[in-house]
Amino acid sequence: MGTTASQLSKESLSEYQELTFLTKQEILLAYKRFTELLDKSEKGDLNVRIPMNKINSLPELKSNPFKDRICRVFSTSEHKDGSLTFEDFLDLLSAFSDSATLEIKSHYAFRIFDFDDDGTLDRSDLEKLVNCLTGETEETKLSPDEMRQLISNILEESDIDKDGTVNLSEFQHVISRSPDFVR
Amino acid sequence: MAFLKLAGTAALAKLPLIILSTYGAKNHIFLCPCVLSCSSSDDEDKVDEKVDSNDPEEMFQNIQYQKEIIANIRTRPWPMRRKLKVLKQAREIVLKYEGRLTRTRGYQTAGADLLKKLSRLLYNIVVLFIPWEVRIKKIESHFGSGVASYFIFLRWLFGINIVLTVMTGAFIVLPELLAGAPFGTTRSKTIPKEHLASAQDLDTIWSLGGYLQYSVLFYGYYGRVRKIGSAGYRLPLAYFLVGMAVFAYSFIILLRKMAKNSRLSLASASDESFTFCWRVFCAWDYLIGNPEAAESKGAAIVNNIREAIVEEQEKKKDTSLAVLISLRILANILVLLSLAGSIYIIYFVVDRSQKLEQEKPELTLWEKNEVSVVVSLITMIAPSAFELVAQLEMYHPRTSLRFQLARVLVLYLGNLYSLIIALLDKVNSMSSAVSMLTSHNLEFRITDYPNPTTVYHNISPEYGEFKIAENLIVWLVLTSNNFYLAMLLFMLFLCMLPTIFAIVRYRPSQHCGPFSGQEKIYDIISETVSNDFPVWFSKMMTYITSPVVVLPALLLLFMLIYYLQSIARSLKFTNNQLRMQLQTERTEDKKKVFQMAAGMFSNVEPVTLNPSIARLQVPEAAADKQPDQQESDIRSQETSIYTPSLQRNSIITSHQSPVHRGNTIRTITQSASRADLNGGSVAGSVRRPAVTVLPKHCLENNPNRPSPFLGGPSGACRSKSYHHMTCNPPPHCSDSIHSDPLYRKTIRSVHPVEGARLITSQNYGVRRGHTTRYLIVNEHESRKKLLRSATRIPRHYFMEEPAEILELYPLNVRRYTPCTTYHQPHHYRSYSSQQHLSEEEGDEDQRKGRRKMSLGKAHRPRSLSDLHQPPHFYIGDRVENRITIDKEKRRPCLSPTGPRHTESHVKSKTKPKLETPQTESDSASLASSSDQQNSSADQYIQVINNKERYLKSEARQGKTSKKKFKTSFELKNTESNDLLCSNV
Repeated sequence: MGTTASQLSKESLSEYQELTFLTKQEILLAYKRFTELLDKSEKGDLNVRIPMNKINSLPELKSNPFKDRICRVFSTSEHKDGSLTFEDFLDLLSAFSDSATLEIKSHYAFRIFDFDDDGTLDRSDLEKLVNCLTGETEETKLSPDEMRQLISNILEESDIDKDGTVNLSEFQHVISRSPDFVR
Repeated sequence: MAFLKLAGTAALAKLPLIILSTYGAKNHIFLCPCVLSCSSSDDEDKVDEKVDSNDPEEMFQNIQYQKEIIANIRTRPWPMRRKLKVLKQAREIVLKYEGRLTRTRGYQTAGADLLKKLSRLLYNIVVLFIPWEVRIKKIESHFGSGVASYFIFLRWLFGINIVLTVMTGAFIVLPELLAGAPFGTTRSKTIPKEHLASAQDLDTIWSLGGYLQYSVLFYGYYGRVRKIGSAGYRLPLAYFLVGMAVFAYSFIILLRKMAKNSRLSLASASDESFTFCWRVFCAWDYLIGNPEAAESKGAAIVNNIREAIVEEQEKKKDTSLAVLISLRILANILVLLSLAGSIYIIYFVVDRSQKLEQEKPELTLWEKNEVSVVVSLITMIAPSAFELVAQLEMYHPRTSLRFQLARVLVLYLGNLYSLIIALLDKVNSMSSAVSMLTSHNLEFRITDYPNPTTVYHNISPEYGEFKIAENLIVWLVLTSNNFYLAMLLFMLFLCMLPTIFAIVRYRPSQHCGPFSGQEKIYDIISETVSNDFPVWFSKMMTYITSPVVVLPALLLLFMLIYYLQSIARSLKFTNNQLRMQLQTERTEDKKKVFQMAAGMFSNVEPVTLNPSIARLQVPEAAADKQPDQQESDIRSQETSIYTPSLQRNSIITSHQSPVHRGNTIRTITQSASRADLNGGSVAGSVRRPAVTVLPKHCLENNPNRPSPFLGGPSGACRSKSYHHMTCNPPPHCSDSIHSDPLYRKTIRSVHPVEGARLITSQNYGVRRGHTTRYLIVNEHESRKKLLRSATRIPRHYFMEEPAEILELYPLNVRRYTPCTTYHQPHHYRSYSSQQHLSEEEGDEDQRKGRRKMSLGKAHRPRSLSDLHQPPHFYIGDRVENRITIDKEKRRPCLSPTGPRHTESHVKSKTKPKLETPQTESDSASLASSSDQQNSSADQYIQVINNKERYLKSEARQGKTSKKKFKTSFELKNTESNDLLCSNV
């Protein structure tokens, strides 16, 4: 780890610690993992963007049905191609880390679920979300009837203002009461 | 619509800056990121432009503020680049200005920095030493957090055991080894000759015999000597106290964990109102990396969702209740029978083995191991039997799992108890075993505690192949639900009972052990007290332990428990009531909005252009809003610390949504208020600082709000962000904006709170009907605290204040309205002569229009004509109001006087409040607003139009907004007529 650590200056290391929920070791590990994804020629250049499919090949992400969404949400790329710089990568890790606050987590969760990036979870977002969870195969996919009922139930529970969509605050309200989230 | 956050559209990005740049550096850095998290960097470069004042206090505040930013920056959902920039800037400012302050302060901050660095270092080191942290993380990354949470729980148990071991080791074993009589000196410390040969055999050691039996691990090893060693360590006393302490520690740690859990779950797990949402939103475990685990997890999710759907469908059709109930009763009877059977079998077997032991000198292998075989057979078979029975009951899987767990625990406990009781019977003849039992019990408690894994193995849910994943979800629910911990606690208690019983009931062994020779184990305490403490102490102890003290103390305890419980009950009741109230009021408000909108649009015909009337919308809308805010405040305080901003926002939208037509009107009000604000910012080029008052006002508007809301340094900016967040402009914000200028103006002569309050309440008081009272309620409610301290408060305002019940309001309002009319009728008249707009309307109405104008529509070009006529309509002693409104009118035409003054006063006052740290949630909600803003983009643009129009004093209004203005004026007009009839 000594060699990789040297490429990450002490100053930026401490800044990253300040800005994320990660510990020093975690940042260094993240750096190591990140540089492993880089091509030989790009080594050491932290501004290189790693394309989405490469990020998605990480074992931690590859089975995640939301991997594309995750990359897109955390990417700062102007082309919206979901490619990540090291800092984006750290943002991602920080949001998913243990010590990240509920606010952060729910915020990003909301954005991940917001497939069309319009700031609310509408019916089509929810449908996509459910399809992501269930998979697209015939036997697992919900029938249109089931889907309709599920979505209307979700909206019934969470859509406080009854505008037909779930907005961020409603989402956070729901999710903050979840036992999975409370830990 | 483009996603603003990602797009960073230049045109829109500029917009907030126009406003923001007028508020000084602090707000600037604070809010820009919230409004647009990806805007260009130039907005941040101006960060320090305002901080060049030399006032040390101010500078210090600023530095503190910057530090606040640094401390909280990681809790904002911005991309790293932005965070980095903000952090650097904040640091620069701190560095730059800290030097200018006194030296001590510099040292202080340097010390704080050092401390911070050290603590971070320490944290980094501590993380290294958390046992199995990396391993658990690895497991977590493969199989998800469900599995990991199980291991974390095991680690926690392990931690407890470590502590217990340390306690015993440090206070009992170590002193005994160091100072006790050496091995081989006494009978209990010498291995008998006939056993010496086999003492090292693995077989002997394995069954805790041989050398182990004559070691510190055994109770008998310890002597009865009161004090050992030269220091006089009281080993027997220590033995007793440590035994008690082990129990106490186990209880405390368990209870604390439970308390923490329940605090985290916020008592919300009880109401399962979000089943579907959780099953979808929280379904995926993002830590799962293993494809197989992911697959089974996915399958489990599908099952889960399907199950929920089916359940929902089944809720509608009711199955025959009688059958179900009888089935459940039958199931419980079966379970009880099998429990009783297993307990009896164990008792029987133990009894038999004792008899055999006494009768036969040599036992067969089966006879030797009969008890343990039977016990383990029972623990193996019974849970499966329970599960079969549970299928009869047709409970929800989670409920049935709980039943299953509870039954298994009861089974284990029953076995344990029958074993103990059977042994205790035996003990009557040979008493030394009890103390062995005692000391072993402790370990028995936690290690032999029905292991979660065994419980898992015994529970096979009906989802065949998805077993693992399903069980893990369950595990997660259990760990966070306190159910399992409660079981653990119950278990601990039950395990303590026999120990206590033995201590109290039986005489300790007379031949060995620290308590030999005593009548009862606890005699050691009374003995120590009477021998080693001064006389007065032992006397006191006898008093304290006498029934005279103990009985009242017990009574007191019971009373206390009863009291606390009744409090808890009433709190729960209140919670429920508030929730109900919230629901009903929300629906009522929605109805109201709907009616209002319907009413308005049925009366669109008469067209009289009355610009001032559009103003009416704001307070009305605000009135709708306010009760909700209030509720939401209560609610957010009461139920949720996580989503303080939630209800407010969501409810705001709720009022826009139900009636689509209503939106257009709201839009107007927003632009109006915005324009109003705009006037301020235009003026800001000349007297920018005046605008810094805004935050203060905002604060005062909502003094009873949770701090996150207070945190926003600028009301205007905040409202801005709200506009982003909700698709339609939340009127309550505009309310706060429009009343702000008034407040600012008043500040010179009146106490700020009073002034603002007076004006707002005056205005609202005159307005008609139900909307009015809402507003008043809120004004007073929210300001109450501040008002109390304010000195000069007109009496009739106070009269309204205590009434928090809405129903009381109409009375007050009515009474109050005529009163004002009486007082100053001529003012209105003179005033009305200046009115262009209302021709035939009565005083009342004109006054109303007037006020409205003064409040919000002053920016309209035509309103300039009113400028020279100060409306004089307030009650005698409140001359300041007149000034206020006067000023307010002039402001739009860039009157250069006054405000500069005000600024200097106010600023110093406001500063401390500005520093209120913005909490995470606030920042998050603010920042998140950028996500949602694009849907409100057209309104946004309207606002721009207004603004620009203002800036350049030309009517470059957007077509849409113009149209809307028109319609609303018409509406207003009809409404004011209504008002005439109803009020006069």
